[in-house]
Amino acid sequence: MMSPNEAFENGQLSANDDLVQRIGHLTRMLRESMRELGLDKEIEKAAEAIPDARDRLSYVATMTEQAAERALNAIDRAQPLQDALGARAEALDARWAQWFAEPQSLDDARELVSETRGYLAEVPDKTAATSKELLEIMMAQDFQDLTGQVIKKMMDVIREIESQLVQVLIDSVPQGDKRDDMQRLANDRRHGEARQRDETLLNGPQVTPGGADVVSGQDQVDDLLDQLGF
Amino acid sequence: MADKNLRILVVDDFPTMRRIVRSLLKELGFTNVEEAEDGQDALNKLQAGGFQFVVSDWNMPNLDGLEMLRQIRADAALAALPVLMITAEAKKENIIAAAQAGANGYVVKPFTAATLEEKLNKIFEKLGM
Repeated sequence: MMSPNEAFENGQLSANDDLVQRIGHLTRMLRESMRELGLDKEIEKAAEAIPDARDRLSYVATMTEQAAERALNAIDRAQPLQDALGARAEALDARWAQWFAEPQSLDDARELVSETRGYLAEVPDKTAATSKELLEIMMAQDFQDLTGQVIKKMMDVIREIESQLVQVLIDSVPQGDKRDDMQRLANDRRHGEARQRDETLLNGPQVTPGGADVVSGQDQVDDLLDQLGF
Repeated sequence: MADKNLRILVVDDFPTMRRIVRSLLKELGFTNVEEAEDGQDALNKLQAGGFQFVVSDWNMPNLDGLEMLRQIRADAALAALPVLMITAEAKKENIIAAAQAGANGYVVKPFTAATLEEKLNKIFEKLGM
């Protein structure tokens, strides 16, 4: 005969064993049914989209930073040119004003004329240099097109993750009218958004350089077209 | 050197890029420039007549640049129109597909003012414009 104490302890023990076993069984069932429903694949697909989104975001960060730097550098180069033009014009103008107020010797005037001519001759070079910097600032804005395309792609990725996760939610709801309604709603939304296009040739900017089937710049484009005889 | 009065259509869905290309063309002396925001818009404008040159993006909504190019080549009235592609699509299969569809040049974004000028001149030379 066991003492009441022992009996109690044994009972507790077997109840504990039973609980652990039941949890283990449930876990296995959950995993198996998830696999049967294909849910593990859907979660995997959603998770795979995340590194891609991360690459795209980092491309956007790099491109916008480069563009800002390019524009600011061009401004830094153009500003001194403008300042120098303005300062020299002011100085010459002041000397001319002085000369008209009280005309000095002809030699003084000759020197002033020659310096003024020198200045006039150099203005077009300086303005051409400034124009070049303005063009540079304009070209720096091309990031908007490239990052815009990448952001649009990313929104597709996010939409895909969303619909995968929504599907997981729906599949976890018990069968019935409510689940059917949810499924119908999700399908309608997905069909409304899906633009059935051949996307194989629409990849947008390359966010990670170095792919074998990708050109790295205009030189490689030209080489390829030459090879093909175009 | 090509006639500076050449009527050019710039096709891109991003207004910033259209402005950049338009300004670059102006810098090169071409001021007779119109814009279209996608391939379909461009085809409508081209079919209305009067254009001698097309500069086009590839990845656009409604009708993309490649499909637009194919439709231009298939249209007897437009078939001879020079088309320069300016696109971020940098895969070799893209470049080959564009060349096979009859693109006269291919510039990959991001590009420089010098590249655009060089490609334009190459096309003008080849076509004796």
